[in-house]
Amino acid sequence: MPLPPGTDPPLPQPDLLAALPRLRRYARVLTGDVTRADDLVQDTLARAWEKRRLWAAGTDLRAWLFTVMHNVFVNQRALARHERHQVSLDSEEEGGEAWRIPVRSMQYTRMELIELTQHVGRLPVDQREVLLLAVVEEMRYEDIASTLAIPVGTVMSRLSRAREKLRAAFADGPGTPSSLKIVK
Amino acid sequence: MNPLPITDTDVSAYVDGQLPAARLSSFEEALANDAALAARVTQLRQHNAMLHDAFDPWLAEPLPDRLIAAASAPEGPAASASAPKRAPRWMLPTAAAAATLVVGIGIGWFGRDALLQRDGTPTTFARQAALTHALYASDVNRPVEIWAAEEKRLVNWLSKRLGFAVRAPDLNTLGFALVGGRLVAGNEMPAALFVYENADKQRMTLQVRRQAHPGGETAFRYAFEDGVGVYYWIEDNCSYALSGNLDRAQLLAIGRVVYGQLAAPEAAPAR
Repeated sequence: MPLPPGTDPPLPQPDLLAALPRLRRYARVLTGDVTRADDLVQDTLARAWEKRRLWAAGTDLRAWLFTVMHNVFVNQRALARHERHQVSLDSEEEGGEAWRIPVRSMQYTRMELIELTQHVGRLPVDQREVLLLAVVEEMRYEDIASTLAIPVGTVMSRLSRAREKLRAAFADGPGTPSSLKIVK
Repeated sequence: MNPLPITDTDVSAYVDGQLPAARLSSFEEALANDAALAARVTQLRQHNAMLHDAFDPWLAEPLPDRLIAAASAPEGPAASASAPKRAPRWMLPTAAAAATLVVGIGIGWFGRDALLQRDGTPTTFARQAALTHALYASDVNRPVEIWAAEEKRLVNWLSKRLGFAVRAPDLNTLGFALVGGRLVAGNEMPAALFVYENADKQRMTLQVRRQAHPGGETAFRYAFEDGVGVYYWIEDNCSYALSGNLDRAQLLAIGRVVYGQLAAPEAAPAR
């Protein structure tokens, strides 16, 4: 159905561009693959333009784009499930292309970060995305709940479970070298 | 009244700074008396810091062209059918081209300014500078309209379009060579953008524009917007913004050189 004129102002493009790096990051955490992540971002942008009247101008565009991306991803995954198209995030030695870790990190060693991202990659996608949104994007739990259309209690329990799994994975602490395979 | 027992959810909320105020004091009391709880908090904070370290650098990666293009309004029957009816008269001639990047940005800036005005955000210029930097500095093949090989033509053209004499500071001593420049949309008037690059292919941009409303001078101010550091200042009714994915100290050092060169016009090579 064509939209009536006047109800679909353009999305603010500078804000869209500014949101792109974060959309790509979210997409990588969801898909675990650089190329598929960018495909997902592209599909998300197309969907966002198509559905732009659903964005309330003046509200947080980034959060709305996360919602759109989450929905596009969930729909695509439902289709792909037919083909048992499973995402493997921890197959490669360094966690695959998506989990490239920059050589220069601020505080932790490259090995520690690789280990961490592998643990993150093994989390169920539901927990992984909540962890990203809460910890890395630093979103309020209430905003995550509305972004993912789940109750706040679910956000918090997924986050707790994700953290508990990370803790268990780093059984003897992330800072202790004994848990790491040091490769020369 | 006995406080409620501390749950995993409380610990999570505490390290995320999202524990409700009503729970905060009883949590902190428990924290002071429970070494195991304190260790758990420390560990979660460490995980938080590691997650940032692991995932934040992705934000600085250059954007692929196809995604930049996808951020523009799509061409199509729906867009072209409704856009002209809604567009103000002055915009009509460009409506057909609304899907192209440059025009799209122009329209976007207007929407953005309305937002900024309403929200009263004071960092308009720094934010714009960061966005402009992110957009053009990441463009490997065409970051500029006129390349440094034609610096004189570039400077003359920009000076003419801006209505005052601009020049590109010489940052070769700092390892940054001029790549070129372009005209970019500002709030109310256009701005000049100079792009520099070092041997590591790191890019830095300097944006210069006349202030729409003459106002005082400012000290160097720093802003960090979406992964881009920006030093900006106002002098002689011109606003300057130096943007780059460089560390703050490095950016400041470059800013001082730029400032020094621009503040000493008599020292500029005669053109």
